[in-house]
Order: sequence, then C-alpha cells, then structure tokens
Amino acid sequence: MPLVRHSTWGDRNKPSHESIDLLIKQRVWGISKEEQSLKFSISLVKEKLQSICAALSTGRMTDDKDVLRDVWFGRIPTCFTLYQDEITEREAEPYYLLLPRVSYLTLVTDKVKKHFQKVMRQEDISEIWFEYEGTPLKWHYPIGLLFDLLASNTALPWNITVHFKSFPEKDLLHCPSKDTIEAHFMSCMKEADALKHKSQVINEMQKKDHKQLWMGLQNDKFDQFWAINRKLMEYPAEDNGFRYIPFRIYQATTERPFIQKLFRPVAVDGQLHTLGDLLKEVCPSAITPEDGVKKNQIMIHGIEPMLETPLQWLSEHLSYPDNFLHISIIPQSTD
Amino acid sequence: MAEPERPPTSLTGGPAAGEGAAELGPDPNALEPAPSAAVSPGTEEPTGDAKKKIDVLLKAVGDTPIMKTKKWAVERTRTIQGLIDFIKKFLKLVASEQLFIYVNQSFAPSPDQEVGTLYECFGSDGKLVLHYCKSQAWG
Repeated sequence: MPLVRHSTWGDRNKPSHESIDLLIKQRVWGISKEEQSLKFSISLVKEKLQSICAALSTGRMTDDKDVLRDVWFGRIPTCFTLYQDEITEREAEPYYLLLPRVSYLTLVTDKVKKHFQKVMRQEDISEIWFEYEGTPLKWHYPIGLLFDLLASNTALPWNITVHFKSFPEKDLLHCPSKDTIEAHFMSCMKEADALKHKSQVINEMQKKDHKQLWMGLQNDKFDQFWAINRKLMEYPAEDNGFRYIPFRIYQATTERPFIQKLFRPVAVDGQLHTLGDLLKEVCPSAITPEDGVKKNQIMIHGIEPMLETPLQWLSEHLSYPDNFLHISIIPQSTD
Repeated sequence: MAEPERPPTSLTGGPAAGEGAAELGPDPNALEPAPSAAVSPGTEEPTGDAKKKIDVLLKAVGDTPIMKTKKWAVERTRTIQGLIDFIKKFLKLVASEQLFIYVNQSFAPSPDQEVGTLYECFGSDGKLVLHYCKSQAWG
C-alpha cells in the first residue's frame, strides 16, 4: 500500500487530514472473478468510483469530519460459503455481502444466516459461527480488525466459511442474542471512557444516550451515533488530550491476545505523543530499525497512518465506535 | 484474620501462602510484590513478568455471598471467565447461575480478557479490585 507523504503538518496539533483521508479513499477494491450476484458487483464498482471521485476532489481542504465518515462507512466485500460438512437438503449457494468495518459479525449477518438455514433441516442448525482459513472469527472483535489482522493482504472478496455445528468453545464466545452484542459494545465504551475521562463523561450520560450510541451502530446511523459520541471525544480546555489513550495492539503471530497499557497522549513537556512513540514504548519489535528492512505493517482501518501522527488525533478520528484504537501489526505485504 | 481456605480440588493449587492472600493456580510460591499501578511511559517490563502473579481483591455486591478469602494471587494470563468459574465453584453456585465481574464499579470486561491487562490499566495500590455480582449491577 503506497504511503502518501507530506512535508508539513500545518497546524501543529493536527496531522494532515488529507493524507489520512486520501489513504482511506485509496484503499484498493479488486473486483472478484468469482462474483455471481450482479447487485454485488454493481455495489463494488460504485464504491470504487466514489473512491476515485473523492480522491480527485481532494484539492479542497479536507475536514476532520470527512475522516470520521470515511471510517464509519468503510466496507469489506465478503463471500460467505457454507462449510462442506454441514448437512443440507440441496446445494447451498455462496452469499455475498458488503460488511461494515466498524460493526460486529453477529450484528450484520442475519441475512447470511437466513440464506443458509433455508437449505438445512431445523435439527441440523445450532449457533452460527464463522471461520477464515481455519481460524474461528471472534464476533466480539470489530469486523475491520479481523480483516486487517487476518486477510488484508489477500485478494478480495474476503472468503468466510459459515458453520452451524461443532461450536469451538475454546476459541469463541457465545452470542445468544443482540443483547449480548449490545452489552459487550457498551462495556468496551465504558472501559474506553474509564481510560479517557475516569468514566466521568459516560457516567454523566443518561440511559437514553447510551441507547442512542448502540442504536446508531446497529442501524448504521452516523449522525445519530456521533451526536452522542462527540461528547466522549472532548477533553478539558486546560489539558491537551485525554487522560490515557484507549488502544489495543494485535499481532496474529503472538500468543497474547493483544497489548493494552496505560499511555498518555501528551508528554510531560507538553509535546504530543505520536503513533511511533506508542509503538516504541509498548511494542518496540514492530518498529523498523534505522537501516533495517520494513518487516511489518502497522494498520488501522485498512491503512498505514504515518508514525508521526499524533496519538490524540488518531484516538479522536480513527477509533472504532467502541472508542478504542484497534491496531493490527501484520507481516509486510509483498505487492 | 481467618485462615485462608484451600482452593477447590478441581483447580490445581498449592498451599495457601503469604498473609491473607491465597494462591489461585499451580504455583505454591509466596506472593510477589506487585509493581506500581501508576505506570507512565518509560518503564521497561522485566523479563519473565508474564509469569508473575498479580493481587486481586474480590468484593461482593448486593446480596451475593461473600468469599471467605477475598485476596488472591492470580496469574496474569488468567481470564475473567476463569475467575468467574473459580468464584462460582468457591461459592458453590450452580453452573447455570450467572456471575458478573466489574472493574472500577463501571464496566464488565469480556470473559476472555486477561487479568494481567486489567491490572496494568486499572490496578491501584498494588492490586486489582473486582466486584462480583449474581445480577447486573452496573449495566
């Protein structure tokens, strides 16, 4: 993935929104040879055209809000195939879907479930679960994170296998209902605010505000969500950022699930900490040494932000709806 | 202070160690001193840190039964689900009964969350305080 370089940052406290925005708009969508559904291929072409138009029009000043929208509306073209050992009454056709990067698998796959259950007998169906190349997919991780971590450097569409039996108890949490997803999502938001504001902002909100955050995510309503979420992105005038930055760093190759530690966005001398500063502190092996060959990609929402990007800005603009920065460290792509 | 109880036999456990903190796991060694919870950037993690245990203080909420032993030394890699299972067995709760665990009396971490990570971020005075409840206390 080519990096867009800018020599000046402009306003000291903000990185070039244009570079991040451009990176997101230039995420490459291939058109799969295997697609069968015309609707699916049309939506892919539409997305590609939109990206190209947006990229051409960045002669204008990009607003921070554009980045928020780009992040929210990111999609991953996915092909769902039923596991071959599932018992069906007739042939199960693959199902194509554009998955929202910022959502969760079990929240957006009702149509997938219905599609495959149509060809199965009731007694052969239990809890649905998903797998990619043998790895069970954790529904409680955001979709974009799963894709970046496991499949970002392979050809589109993302090929996911659907299972209805032999639920892998050791690898996956159960998801009996949408309430489970809501509880998990709200808990992540509360944890993020505990780090950012000692839970003061989220605790001051009414129950209906919490509900609005969840409904905004569930119904893909950007404005509804951000009407409340913007309060979680504020900080006291006398500070230069949040108390601590909510982040999780994932590496498919390590034993530990993720790295999460206390890390301040501002140094004692008032300088803003960058993405590079964070990595140097909590995951130094991810950084390329001075004369070394770049072994890893540091990926958020399918792009590689420059390591000089202030962490506070990343937290405000590239967090997932749960208010966490979910960062993937993956082996450097060879193309 | 009451003598700490032996952990249930289904968990591999050594003899209870230290003052008031019982072992939760196979390591019978005495309690390790816990590192400072107010971490600021710049502290290098000592090697073998992942093997060290952290102190967990369990507090009951509402009419949930209180554990006789409240302070435990727990491996960093123990998950919240592992802790829930242990508390349920210790309190002799039925497997079907729910148990919720809260951090900072504000959020319920995911069952696969490791206690070590929670301690790093939310520990204070050398321990991680966790509230447990049979019903949802803080949503």
